Amino acid sequence: MNQMQEYEKLSFEEAMIELESVVSKLDAGEGTLDESITLFQKGVLLSKLCSSRLEEIEKRVRILTDDGLGTKKEMPFNEESITSGEKE
Amino acid sequence: MSAVFSVSDLNHYVGEVLAADPVLAAVRVQGEISGFKKYPSGHMYFSLKDKESQVNCVAFRGNAAHFSFVPENGMSVIITARASLYDRDGRFQLVVYLMEKDGIGDLFVAFEKLKARLEEEGIFDTAHKLAIPTLPRRIGVVTSPKGAVIQDIIHVLSRRFPNFDLLIYPSAVQGQTAAAELRKGVEWFNGTDLVDVIIVARGGGSIEDLWCFNDEALAKTIYHSHIPVISAVGHETDFTICDFASDLRVPTPSAAAEGVMPIKSELLSGINAQTDRLTRSLLHCVAIRRNRLMMLSRSKALLSPLRRVESESQRLDMLTLRLTHSLNRRVDSSARRIDKDIASLDALSPLKVLSRGYSLATNPLTGACITSVSHVSPGQPVQIQLADGLIHCKAEKIQAGRIL
Repeated sequence: MNQMQEYEKLSFEEAMIELESVVSKLDAGEGTLDESITLFQKGVLLSKLCSSRLEEIEKRVRILTDDGLGTKKEMPFNEESITSGEKE
Repeated sequence: MSAVFSVSDLNHYVGEVLAADPVLAAVRVQGEISGFKKYPSGHMYFSLKDKESQVNCVAFRGNAAHFSFVPENGMSVIITARASLYDRDGRFQLVVYLMEKDGIGDLFVAFEKLKARLEEEGIFDTAHKLAIPTLPRRIGVVTSPKGAVIQDIIHVLSRRFPNFDLLIYPSAVQGQTAAAELRKGVEWFNGTDLVDVIIVARGGGSIEDLWCFNDEALAKTIYHSHIPVISAVGHETDFTICDFASDLRVPTPSAAAEGVMPIKSELLSGINAQTDRLTRSLLHCVAIRRNRLMMLSRSKALLSPLRRVESESQRLDMLTLRLTHSLNRRVDSSARRIDKDIASLDALSPLKVLSRGYSLATNPLTGACITSVSHVSPGQPVQIQLADGLIHCKAEKIQAGRIL
């Protein structure tokens, strides 16, 4: 599916804007029934994409720490990591 | 008026006079701190002096706790205080409510100058500001990892969008190195592709505490950041150069979290609303077409091909009829002409002539028609033919000349 591959690149907001535009076009009711059905299918793809974009974000809170060589490293962030950071 | 006061009464009286004076009730005094002592109780005792004089001061715990800095000997300050008399030893003193560092005026001037200059350079241009993404996949924050600010941000983010992704760049947010650290944080994020938006945050504090956010280099780093920067410094009323240079200024760190992350449930209902509309629209499309089809199937437009066939066939009938008529007419007229011809032929036939009373005389010997009296001699046989038979006669007398 070419359309899906194309949509895969869209960010949440792009996909949302596209979805709204598809819905508006379909709402306008112009074009042939085939075109309307194509729009509907596009809309369903976009809707799924939007929802999946919301779930894609990984629940994380991380803090950058210096490894002493000037390179930053990501560490899980919690109270403990701060106190240990302070001790160093 | 010759009443004699006790010492206590005098001190009490003077105390009341001082308290009643409107100027001394809230007086601002500038001076240098000396003999500073802080007691375990939290009260502060010191003198405020200038070149010629000095005055005793006390700051009680309730007020002292709110000073935005720790007073030190030699520090030039402006205090707001009320005058009072310490009854026990009759000492005049100032009870201090507020203490500001002197030289703040200079800071304000410096702030306004820097602001004006950067404004002129276009660092605050609205046109240059980047849009804050609707849904940042990952948020960078440059702030102190200690204290309430980061906790507030995390708290608000988890409430709005439970699966948020936050990366903290720890930085000092006050003091000598703060401006440079903050700048490095913004630069570091710009050197990576890790976050969609950067929050620069700090809680409330005195103007000196927030001073690192009035840094020209930090403002320019924020200006040049290709990642949108949200500035969340201090309280509602605090404005810093960093605020003006950022792509979005929010009053507090909590507001930054609100500004950066949408409410997930609202997004979901937004998607659902669009999806519902999508389905409804398609059903509507189909319904419209079904109606149109029904209308069409009853309409003349759709019937027209049949009607055309009908009308054509009718025309064909008409033509056929006309053709037949015309043919018949021609046949009739031909037939009539033939009849007439036959009739005229008939009229010309000798038999027909005979039937009208004429007769034909012939010479029975030769069979020739007698068309002249000279053909006949008296006594000669003559045969007269009538329509229905012959008469055999004999010529008796010949008479020439026309009779009829």
